[in-house]
Amino acid sequence: MPGRIIKWIDQRFPLTSFVKHELTDYPTPRNLSYWWNFGFLAGVVLMLQVVTGIFLAMHYRADISLSFDSIQHIMREVNYGWLLRYMHATGASAFFFVIFVHMARTLYYGSYRAPRELLWWTGQGLLLLLMATAFMGYLLPWGQMSYWGATVITNLFQATPFFGDQIVIWLRGDYTVGDATLTRFFALHYLFPFIIIGAVVIHLVALHTVKSSNPSGINLAAKDNIPFHPYFTIKDLYGLGWFLIVYSVFVFFLPDSLIEPANNIPANPMQTPNHIVPEWYFLPFYAILRSVPNLVGGVVAMGLSVMMFAFMPFLDRSRIPGGAHFRPIYRLQFYLFLLDMLVLGYVGYTPPTNQTLLIGQIATLCYFGSFLLIPFISRIEERWLVRRGLPPAVIALMESEALTIEQRRLQHRRRGEQA
Amino acid sequence: MNALVRVLVLCCFSIGAWANEVPLEKVSVATDAITISRGAEDLMNDCHSCHTLKYIRYRDLVTFGIDKQKVDAWRGDQPMDSPLLGQLSDADAMQSFGIVPPDLSLMVKARDGGPSYVYSYLLAYHNSPDGVLENPVYPATKMPDALGIASASDAAQRTEIQGRARDIVSFMTWAADPHDAERKRLGYYVLGYLIVLTTLLYFVKNQVWGRLK
Repeated sequence: MPGRIIKWIDQRFPLTSFVKHELTDYPTPRNLSYWWNFGFLAGVVLMLQVVTGIFLAMHYRADISLSFDSIQHIMREVNYGWLLRYMHATGASAFFFVIFVHMARTLYYGSYRAPRELLWWTGQGLLLLLMATAFMGYLLPWGQMSYWGATVITNLFQATPFFGDQIVIWLRGDYTVGDATLTRFFALHYLFPFIIIGAVVIHLVALHTVKSSNPSGINLAAKDNIPFHPYFTIKDLYGLGWFLIVYSVFVFFLPDSLIEPANNIPANPMQTPNHIVPEWYFLPFYAILRSVPNLVGGVVAMGLSVMMFAFMPFLDRSRIPGGAHFRPIYRLQFYLFLLDMLVLGYVGYTPPTNQTLLIGQIATLCYFGSFLLIPFISRIEERWLVRRGLPPAVIALMESEALTIEQRRLQHRRRGEQA
Repeated sequence: MNALVRVLVLCCFSIGAWANEVPLEKVSVATDAITISRGAEDLMNDCHSCHTLKYIRYRDLVTFGIDKQKVDAWRGDQPMDSPLLGQLSDADAMQSFGIVPPDLSLMVKARDGGPSYVYSYLLAYHNSPDGVLENPVYPATKMPDALGIASASDAAQRTEIQGRARDIVSFMTWAADPHDAERKRLGYYVLGYLIVLTTLLYFVKNQVWGRLK
C-alpha cells in the first residue's frame, strides 16, 4: 500500500527522485569534520526562533504603553511564557554564535573559493538579513537599551547624502523612535524570518549545485564521497545534541547573562543610559563605527566591515587550495583576525576613553588590513610554498585548475573569433 | 603572537576594574519560602509605603505560600487580584522627594550587580563627618535611609539590619523572576534527558559510520 501511494505521488511530483538526489544519493565528502555541523545547526536555530517567535507574538503587544508590560505578562502569567521568551532571547545569541563559527570555518578552509563564490555571497546576504532581524527584534521589549540602541542606529542613516534627515524620519515614522517605529519593527521582525527561509533555500540550492567543500580543500575522488543520509543526518543529529545541551544551560540556568540589565527598565526618552552598548554580536562592528571620528566615515567603515567578507573570493589570490590547511601564513593571519575581532568586541563593550579609542583605531586598521593585504600576502606565500615543495595531490590539483582556466580562456577566444 | 595574547589577558583583567566604581558587597540570596516571606513582610513595612511592585499581585503572594492572613492585612479592602501599588501618589512623591520612587518588581534585574547591588545600596547609607546622609553606591539617591543603617551604632543592631536587607533582597529576587525555581528544576530534567539522548546518538552515529570501510 505505501509503495502504491508513493508511486501515485511520483507520477505527479518528483518525491522519490528529490529524496534520492538531495539526501540518500547526495554525495558528501567523508572527511568533513564537526566544523561542518554548524550550517545544519543554523537551520535548526532558525526554526526554533520562528516557532518560539510565533507563540510570543500571540501574547506580545506592539504599543509603547503596553509592550514592556506585555513582556512581563509573558514572563509571569502565560503558561511557560518564560520558557518561550528565554528560548527566543537566547536563540538570537545562539544564532549569531553558530553563524560566526560557520563563517569562520568557511574562511579557515577557504570554502568561499571557486566554484563556491555564489554560495558564499548568498550567505553574506543571509548575514545581513539576520542582523536586520535581530536589530529590529531588540526594540520590541521597549526597554532602555532597546530604545537607545534603535535611536543610535537609526541616527546613523543621517550619513546618507542629501536626504539624511528625511531618511531617518522615514525609517522611524516619526521624529524620534516612538510608537510608529515599534509597530513597523514588529511587523518587519515578523516578516524577515520568512525572507530568511527563502534565502536559505537559495543558499541550499547553491550548495547542492557545487557540493560541500572539505577540510583538505582538494576535490575528492568519487569513492571518498558518501551519501548524506544516513551518514551526515546522524552526525548532524549527534552535533545537535551537544548544541542543545549548551543552549539549555543558557536557557535554564543563565538566561539573564545575555540580557543587558538596563533593558529591564522601561524605555525613557528623557533619560540616556550611562553607556549604550549593543548586543555582543554587534560589538566588533560597533567598535569600528566608534573608531572613526567622523559620522559618515564611521558608517561607511562599519558597513564595509560587514561587507568585507564578500570580497574574499577576489582578495585571496593564492592558487594553493584548501584555505589554511596548506598555507601557514594564511593560518596565522586567520588566528590574528579572530584575535582582532575579540579586541574590537572588548573595545565596543567598554565606555570610550582615549586609551580604548586608540586600541579601537589600531584594531580597526588591523581588521581592514587583514582583508586588504590578503592579495599580496597570498601571492608571496604561494611563491614561497611552491619553492619549498607541496604535497603531490595539491600540485596535481593546481595544475588541473590551471588547465581548466586555460581551456576556458581558449574557448572564450575561439568564440570571440567566430563572432 | 605572545605580545597579543598578553594584551588580551590584560584586557580581560581590566574588565573588572571599570564595571563598578564602588565595590559591591556580595550577597547570596535565599530561595526558601521562610526567608522570602520574612523579606515580603519587611518590604511591606519598610519600602511599600513609597515603592510599588506592579507586576506582583496579592494573589501571587498567597500562591507562593505567604500566610493569607498577613496578605489580607496588607491588602486591606483591595481585591486579591490587584497589584502591589504604593500608597503614595506620584504627585505627592514629586512634592516630597522630587522623584517618583521606581517600581521594585524588576529592580534586582535592572542593575549591574543584581541582588548584590540592591543589598549594598541599602546598607551603604552613612553620615558624613559634617552630618550629611550619604550613599556611595548611588550618590544621587533621593531615598531616605529606610533601614536605619546610618544611625545603627552597635554591632548587634547592624547585624540585624544586614539580615533584614538580605531578606528584602531575597524577596525582590523572587519578585523579579517568580519562575526561577521552576525553571532550574525543569532545567535539570531537560539536561538529563539531552545528555542521555546525545549519548545514544553517539552510539548510533558510531554504528552507522562503522558500516563504512
